[in-house]
Amino acid sequence: MQLDFERLFDALPSPYMVLDAKLNYITVNAEYERVTMRPAGEYPGRFVFEMFPNEGESGRRLRDSFERVLATGQSDSIAYLPYDIPRPPELGGGMERRFWTCHHTPILDDDGVVRFIVQNTVDVTEVVRLTEAATIPFSATAGATRLLERAREVEEQRKALLAESDEFRRLFQQAPGFFAVLSGPEHVFTFANDAYVRLVGGRNVTGRPIREALPDIAGQGFYEMLDEVYTTGRSTGGEAMRVVLQRHPNEAPEEVFLDFSYDAICDRDGDITGVFVQGMDRTEAVRTQQRQRLLLDELNHRVKNTLATVQSIASQTLRSARDLASARSDFEARILALSKAHNLLSAQEWESTRLTEVLASEFSVYDAARISVEGPPVTLTPKASISLALVVHELVTNAAKYGALSEAGGAVRVRWRLEEGDGPLVLEWTERGGPPATAPERRGFGSRMIGAIVAGELGGSFEPAYDPAGFSCRIVVSADAVMKG
Amino acid sequence: MAPNDVPPGLAVFVVEDEALVALNLESMLDDLGCRVVGPAMRFDRAQAMIDEGVEADVAILDVNIGGRSVFDLAVQIRERGIPILFATGYGRGGIPGEWQHRPILQKPYTERDVGRAIREALAGAERTGD
Repeated sequence: MQLDFERLFDALPSPYMVLDAKLNYITVNAEYERVTMRPAGEYPGRFVFEMFPNEGESGRRLRDSFERVLATGQSDSIAYLPYDIPRPPELGGGMERRFWTCHHTPILDDDGVVRFIVQNTVDVTEVVRLTEAATIPFSATAGATRLLERAREVEEQRKALLAESDEFRRLFQQAPGFFAVLSGPEHVFTFANDAYVRLVGGRNVTGRPIREALPDIAGQGFYEMLDEVYTTGRSTGGEAMRVVLQRHPNEAPEEVFLDFSYDAICDRDGDITGVFVQGMDRTEAVRTQQRQRLLLDELNHRVKNTLATVQSIASQTLRSARDLASARSDFEARILALSKAHNLLSAQEWESTRLTEVLASEFSVYDAARISVEGPPVTLTPKASISLALVVHELVTNAAKYGALSEAGGAVRVRWRLEEGDGPLVLEWTERGGPPATAPERRGFGSRMIGAIVAGELGGSFEPAYDPAGFSCRIVVSADAVMKG
Repeated sequence: MAPNDVPPGLAVFVVEDEALVALNLESMLDDLGCRVVGPAMRFDRAQAMIDEGVEADVAILDVNIGGRSVFDLAVQIRERGIPILFATGYGRGGIPGEWQHRPILQKPYTERDVGRAIREALAGAERTGD
């Protein structure tokens, strides 16, 4: 006996319909016609969402289910789907709230391609209404209702799981570290989080093999490392590794430093399917380290130079001293003068000092009434600050030992001026009220140092005058040799 | 020649921008029996001395002269056939590759270090013929 399948389909006691791969109706059975309240003749050739439009969550879930079937060739079910359908005008029009359980089965062709989807959809509205009716005691609930309760639970669990995996995805998407998943031997990006996309200058990498998506990293060894991980399964990576990378469209590639690791992704059988890329952009930290290195080098350089200066002061003081006691006090006083100049510079972030400060710090132990200091503002470079502090120290020491500051009533006057334009700085040092000055028999370290600093280092001139009224001198140096810009 | 000796009367061109360090180096060179040419403590002064045809058997150059690199001067001094050694607070790391094989005086240095570096510079010049 030959079975008439069309009749059988139509006679099925449950609602059935058939869609093609574009989700257009092929046919519906009589029960489907009854539950949807629309004549069977309206359906063939019409798009399913044209017949039952739904822009909400339910419409999306139904569409997702169809698409899963089309993509996988596997059956798919929705246990509990609220989905409103149009009410025919003769029944009052508008939309009617309905609840459904849907099962979607693919029909494949010989090549395994999904050609049709058969939907069996059961209208469970009545049962839902029953369960929603609080007047009905739970014990009296029909088996079908309990089944539906269970279906609803399963459905909610599925939603929760989906939400959870969404949560995970967001976590990865927004993580501060960069992540990417590469699939297959060509390393096709199947996932790249926000940090990764930022790293590669906002380029759309998803769906593209790495050699095509990031051609700028060619020749830096990364493709080869990925090939190696994909082939051997051995993890690899790098710390603070330098990468030259296009960070902005239409701009030159930039240097970045990355911590990263490449790990093989395996399927259940242990076969490698891709590479998991994760890492951190360490560029800022590396730059900070480089700056610190520079600062340390500079500090070391300054310390070594200062030690060389101190060595010179020690050695020269000892060479020219009359005895060990005077050598010791001269040495200490010179080191102190150097130290005070450093203090003045430190207070200005090692940028500059003012000439008045340098003089004041050397004169600080003397009665202010005996000292007169006058001149326009002069800002000294760091090097000139130290050199002039040492010069002033020698002059003050000399005045205290042999000159105006060696006797009560003696006074020191310091006057300076800047000649017109960029003219030189002229400083005049005059001692009065002390003993008569006489030229020293031999040139000590103090006067050699003054000569070397003023004439040699600052390219100026030092003219001492030994007068019966007292010692005086004139120092002339070009402004650009000592003054801060 | 004793191990610490340098040829007597050796003329040493000194370029050093710190007056105190230059003074002390002069004293050391005196003690070693050398004759000091300079010292030039400013870049323009050193350049002027080179332009005037400075004559010396060896040159001791501080690598940083008032904020300017000394290597421009070093090239000219090398052209004059004067062996060079460098004095620096930076150590060998601050010396460009081209000059790496020259003797270095790491500041602070002693008279003994100066004698050794001068002998190295003279020996190096003999080997390379410059």
